[in-house]
Amino acid sequence: MNVSGVWRGAGALLALSVLMTSCVQRREVGLERVRKAGELRWGADAQGGEPYAMEDPDVPGRMRGFEVELADALARELGVRARFVQNDWSSLIPSLERGSFDVALNGIEITPARSGRILFTRPYFIFQLRLMARRDDDTVTGLASLRGRRVGTLANSQAWDLLQREGIHAVPYEGVEEPYIDLEQGRVDAVLMDDLIAQRYGQPRAVLRVVGDVGEGYYAIAVRPGDEDLRAALDVALGHIARSGELRQIFARWNIDSAAQQRMVEWSDAQTREVLAQTQTPHLGWAQWVMFLQAALVTLVVSVLAMALAVPLGVGLALARLFGPRWLGRLASVYVELFRGTPVLLQLYVLYYGLAGVLRLDALSAAVLGLGLNYAAYEAEVYRAGVLAVPRGQMEAALALGMSTPLALRRVVFPQAFRVALPSATNDFIALLKDSSLVSVISVVELTKRMTITAVDVRGWLLPGALCAALYLAMSYPLALLARRLEARLERG
Amino acid sequence: MIEVKDLCKRYDGRAVLDGINASFAPGEVVALVGPSGGGKSTLLRCLNGLEPFDSGSIRVGDDVLEPGALRARGTQVSNIRRRVGFVFQQWHLFAHRTALGNITEAPRYVRGLDAKAAMALGRALLEKVGLSHREGAYPSELSGGEQQRVAIARALAMEPEALLLDEPTSALDPERVGELVELLSRLRDDGLALVTVTHEMRFARELCSRMLVLHGGRILEEGTPAQVLERPRHERTRAFLGLERVVRQEAPGGLEPGTTAVATVFPAATARE
Repeated sequence: MNVSGVWRGAGALLALSVLMTSCVQRREVGLERVRKAGELRWGADAQGGEPYAMEDPDVPGRMRGFEVELADALARELGVRARFVQNDWSSLIPSLERGSFDVALNGIEITPARSGRILFTRPYFIFQLRLMARRDDDTVTGLASLRGRRVGTLANSQAWDLLQREGIHAVPYEGVEEPYIDLEQGRVDAVLMDDLIAQRYGQPRAVLRVVGDVGEGYYAIAVRPGDEDLRAALDVALGHIARSGELRQIFARWNIDSAAQQRMVEWSDAQTREVLAQTQTPHLGWAQWVMFLQAALVTLVVSVLAMALAVPLGVGLALARLFGPRWLGRLASVYVELFRGTPVLLQLYVLYYGLAGVLRLDALSAAVLGLGLNYAAYEAEVYRAGVLAVPRGQMEAALALGMSTPLALRRVVFPQAFRVALPSATNDFIALLKDSSLVSVISVVELTKRMTITAVDVRGWLLPGALCAALYLAMSYPLALLARRLEARLERG
Repeated sequence: MIEVKDLCKRYDGRAVLDGINASFAPGEVVALVGPSGGGKSTLLRCLNGLEPFDSGSIRVGDDVLEPGALRARGTQVSNIRRRVGFVFQQWHLFAHRTALGNITEAPRYVRGLDAKAAMALGRALLEKVGLSHREGAYPSELSGGEQQRVAIARALAMEPEALLLDEPTSALDPERVGELVELLSRLRDDGLALVTVTHEMRFARELCSRMLVLHGGRILEEGTPAQVLERPRHERTRAFLGLERVVRQEAPGGLEPGTTAVATVFPAATARE
């Protein structure tokens, strides 16, 4: 593809995205749609776990949690049934916008960025932002003591915004347990999360301590713009179950009730308006461009280092399979099948969290190691195929001249195998460049993660998405060109 | 001087070589002939240590190759290979190296010459085989005859005492065979021992001083080409050569030097044994 081809491709992509966006906006209006369907589809992430919404360990497929009971109660008030829709927590809002479900109800905090983007009902729960640190680290005394240090939290949460404002290095996580594991391991200096999460996942850990609560916020139900009547109906329903005492009974059943929750019972519409009045008009500023470039650099560094590990390891594995003693060849085959046959995502999890007790790696090293070990399996097969593709006669001719087997391999077989393997190896490297986005699960902010964070911040996916794609292309295309030139040079022989 | 004593090799229970005794002296050209499956190519490959054998021995000067796995005979094998060059039927030039690169590889990395000396040697050998103008060409850019000459030069670069050629005429245009005879004659005159497997009686008669007829892994008959071709002593040789005569009579105007008519009677003759 030449340069103009690239732009044509990008144009087509843009047109497709616009088309998809406009399709989503054609839909029936809120409450009527819910009543007609006879069900209130609510989006949440079962991975969020207790006490929000999670799969019932005793009855697989059934959900439990205080938000499950809340959804049931609200649906009953609306005269319909509640239906749970699984969705990754970090993309609940975009999924809501594109109509995957009617409401998002999953510990979603009212933040200025969000309230500028979607509708919120009145709050249903008050939470505290709880700061935790290691027991043996007494340097953490509050937010002020953490300036410039690493603090883990969920991306795009209220805690995330607070940390950014305070000039603290916020490390984004996708799950609620992982930040506390990393705090134990010393990979972050503190964790700032909602008290509900801290109680369940942080406080039971003996080596951690509560530094204090540094702010409060509200959970509310997110509704699509345009569904104002649905929001009004949900506000009425919430008010009703709050006043009847049912809301606090639900909280009590899940041990999250406190005197503070009485404010939910006495909540007024005026208070809702006041809370929602704080909206932010987000935009893609210079700071974000710079962060994109930094994230692209992380992607590039992770990919290059991982490949630098995968190539020699792959060569070793291929040699073991081709020329090694039987037991070593077997071992190499097992390695290849194990790493090729299981998801790299799983391998990253095991390496970073699973082995955290034995192998204390920082996130970047774990990312490089995980991707490198995984790609070595693919490289081994590519190189092996390359060696097998060299005709037997070449080896024989070299031996007939008095060369030793290693010399014949080095001077005659491998150079020709390299030529065969180069296109596949290039292909793998480009694939690795993109697969490196998986390392965001172990809290590395690379290009794709930066794109999702920014997209949520600025309320749009199109521009950050296009920017992200352009940066990936800017990295992979020169690589493809370089490989093509090298192939052409080798072609002559 | 190559001396072969009681050489035996079995493969799948069948004797491929069954007590071969022969010697090949400097300055002579020996043709190995006989029907397909008679053991010609196997013998040739044993002489260069490309093929292991079960009993007997091969001596080249003061180096002796004994029976057994080639891996276990590492030094013996590489000594023999340095002293005996091999030119494959399909040449097997290194596809990633130029004509010159093919020739310099072994002197540089096996004999340990420095780059400059290896290049000088390579250029001299290219001149010897008449290909100086093609030194930068890759094998895929060379004709069959040119590739063969590069393969010969590549083998000569190890300064061997003997040169083994596996069916050197089989992939050549008929008009090129004369040039090959001329080149090999010069090498013989330089004092090399040449051993060639061939199905080409005309080629054998023109070039060779001695002919070994192999059948069933044994040497059936031995003598000068004139003796073997005109007055074969053995019935089987007669039968083998009889077919050759049929071809000769059928071919209008007799055989021109280097024609491959035998191959039309022995379809399997051009295939590897």
